Amino acid sequence: MSHRVIPVVVVALAGAAGLWFAASGAAAGPSAKHTVTIEATSYKPETITVKKGESVTWVNKDPFPHTVTAAGKFDSKSIAANGKWTYKATKAGEFSYICTLHPNMKGTIKVE
Amino acid sequence: MNVKLLLAAVLAAPALAFAQAPNDAQIAHIVVTANQVDIDAGKLAQGKAKSKEVKDFAKQMVTDHSAVNKQAKDLAAKLKVKPEDNPTSQSLKKGGEDNVKTLKGLKGDAFDKAYVDHEVAYHQAVLDAIDKTLIPSAKNAELKDLIVKVRPAFVGHLEHAKMIQSKMK
Repeated sequence: MSHRVIPVVVVALAGAAGLWFAASGAAAGPSAKHTVTIEATSYKPETITVKKGESVTWVNKDPFPHTVTAAGKFDSKSIAANGKWTYKATKAGEFSYICTLHPNMKGTIKVE
Repeated sequence: MNVKLLLAAVLAAPALAFAQAPNDAQIAHIVVTANQVDIDAGKLAQGKAKSKEVKDFAKQMVTDHSAVNKQAKDLAAKLKVKPEDNPTSQSLKKGGEDNVKTLKGLKGDAFDKAYVDHEVAYHQAVLDAIDKTLIPSAKNAELKDLIVKVRPAFVGHLEHAKMIQSKMK
């Protein structure tokens, strides 16, 4: 009788472990994905905090191009309408960036 | 001297023309005309400007305002609103034509300066119209939303133009 229970327990444990891995993978670690939406000529969220080694993708939902530019640090150049650009945060620190086409657009990325 | 007169006309136009609140069909027409005026000036400057910075700015104006115009035209079609000509559109159009005429007579640094000066005045005038008339008067929620969402781009253009202008002095 007990030998019939074992496979059930094993499957349950494996399932729980799978869930645990999935949950931890989504919450943190170098594979975490971050997105900043560009809409109505602004960055949302305006400030984003990420861990060193993680990537941030800016998605342009406006009908015209924008840039993500931190002078001397990183520069997306023109991101077309409906286009996106990904930056891998390899250096810790706080970086302010703007859109060179619309200099009223301001954002900050904090790399911990 | 022409430039100064033109600037005065552009700045004064919205205040003069908005004696009464425009309806949505007129607002749609004003939005499309305002964008078209800047596209026309931008197309001229793209080819004629001396500095790369001014050329790039002109190219951006054509791209951005064309995109906004497509949105505005698509929305008008969706809402079955037929854009209706009105005194504000007419003065915007006249101001744009006069500007292009003046610009055609200039070249080199003088062209760049006149174009950028006009862009500063034009975007300021359009922002005033957006804040004082277009947003408060728009009845349809989607039309109002389009203008609200586009407004920050006009602020961006104004700041960008002012940045270029400050380097010229």
